[in-house]
Amino acid sequence: MQPIVRWFHQLGSPPTFDRFARRWSRVFHLAALPVLALGLWQALFVVPADYQQGDSFRILFVHVPSAWMSLFVFALMALYAAIALIWRIKLCEVLAMACAPIGAGFTVITLLTGSIWGRPMWGTWWDWDPRLTTELILLFLYMGVIGLYVAIEDRRNAARAAGLLAIVGVALLPVIRYSVDWWGSLHQGQTIRLLGQSTLDASMQVPLWLMVIATKLWFAGSLLAKARADNLQREAGKDWVQRQFQEDA
Amino acid sequence: MSYLGYVVAAYAVFVLVLAVDALGSYLRLRWALRAVRQRRQRQAARRSASHAPLADLELER
Amino acid sequence: MIAPGTEPGLWRTARALAVRDLRMAWRRRGDVLQPVLFAVLVVVLFALALGREPQRLAADAIAVLWLAVLLAGQLALDALFRSDAEDGSLEQWLLAPVPLSWLVLVRVAMHWATTALPLIAISPLLAEMLHLPHDQLPMLLASLLLGTPLLSLIGGVVAALTVGLRRSGILVALLSLPLYVPVLVFGAGSVAAAARGQDPSGALLMLAAGLVAALVLAPLATAAALRISLS
Repeated sequence: MQPIVRWFHQLGSPPTFDRFARRWSRVFHLAALPVLALGLWQALFVVPADYQQGDSFRILFVHVPSAWMSLFVFALMALYAAIALIWRIKLCEVLAMACAPIGAGFTVITLLTGSIWGRPMWGTWWDWDPRLTTELILLFLYMGVIGLYVAIEDRRNAARAAGLLAIVGVALLPVIRYSVDWWGSLHQGQTIRLLGQSTLDASMQVPLWLMVIATKLWFAGSLLAKARADNLQREAGKDWVQRQFQEDA
Repeated sequence: MSYLGYVVAAYAVFVLVLAVDALGSYLRLRWALRAVRQRRQRQAARRSASHAPLADLELER
Repeated sequence: MIAPGTEPGLWRTARALAVRDLRMAWRRRGDVLQPVLFAVLVVVLFALALGREPQRLAADAIAVLWLAVLLAGQLALDALFRSDAEDGSLEQWLLAPVPLSWLVLVRVAMHWATTALPLIAISPLLAEMLHLPHDQLPMLLASLLLGTPLLSLIGGVVAALTVGLRRSGILVALLSLPLYVPVLVFGAGSVAAAARGQDPSGALLMLAAGLVAALVLAPLATAAALRISLS
């Protein structure tokens, strides 16, 4: 237990984190590539076409992992923010803010792939499907966090304010989801859900889980890269940065 | 109905956004490192310009 | 230093703050009417955009009224903390002997009383302008009475987060609108459900439950946000 706790403490120090992130962001990105390739190949060529939706159901393999990631990253962002606010750990502020653009990216993927998937099914590019509508609101929440972080001058206060917003957002997210679901059920509109009747059987699980793992690895790589950049920017005046540069130069 | 175009578009969106995200991260890193380098150059220039014997006692920010 | 034993209690400070806020609002009576004017303008613009047929207007009346109240309230949000932040009284709040969240609660309550209550008071008139059927009016008022305090409480968190920013106009809207979604959905939806003969009690209960939760949690979040913004 002790060495693990000590390792976490050391990681909080900016120079240690810089070294850690420098190596591991590349490792995670590189590790994601083969998993991604395998997952894409499985999703596109190995799994047989769905009997109801034909080939378009393959979009599921990018849509669903991205949707899960958009929610997971938001929760993680709020968790980092909570740790940063309660224990005042600077690194967690940086990590929380680095989560935001990545999560927003996954939300955009979810919305666009959902819209593309819906086109052959609904006939329109957009339907106020409760789940897609919730994703849209989630995108606005992400943009709010990023916007607030950018708007405040002092970086620490900016991170803490945006972090508090993320925490409030994560607390309200289930409520928003529930309310939008209720709103969707009020008007018996299109009940064709994107996933439809076909339950995922075993052959479909493999590519799905591969994509889930791939997106998580990619996220870890991007998170560390962005956190490293933010860390460097905040610490630009400190000695260790200058010294690090001397070694690099 | 051919769904090929839709599938291609969806997967393209996925790959593109992830690529842009990773590229953005590395660009931001490059930018941060460049700022550090410029800061170093500015401080070195300031130090050599002043020739003050007490320069190394000054607080660095 | 306050001598021990003579510290003002919760009720004394609440009354002091409430009286002060009401007095300030009375001195700026014109400003207090601005949200009302805005709501009227919104209704007029909607009517102009939708056309003058009574049936058409009546069909959308609930949504338009709720949106007018929501948007007008949001514009008034800036006034929640700004003047106190500018003259430094907000920092005195941080040093007060009473909990910061208590002061926040009183302030939000007074803000609601001076901005949202006039809106609710004028909503029957606006409803008449939009040809809302008279039997829907009580439901509308009930949903507004439950929903507007929620909007004020949630808006308080956003106002506290942005109190340090100079020109934060659209950012406040961007931050608060996603958080307003459940209130809007359940508020307007309850009236719409009742209008269609469905049971609105589920939605109203959700609003009530949300209000109870927000009365406790929102001031805490707002206090935390104020501490961050003023640090």
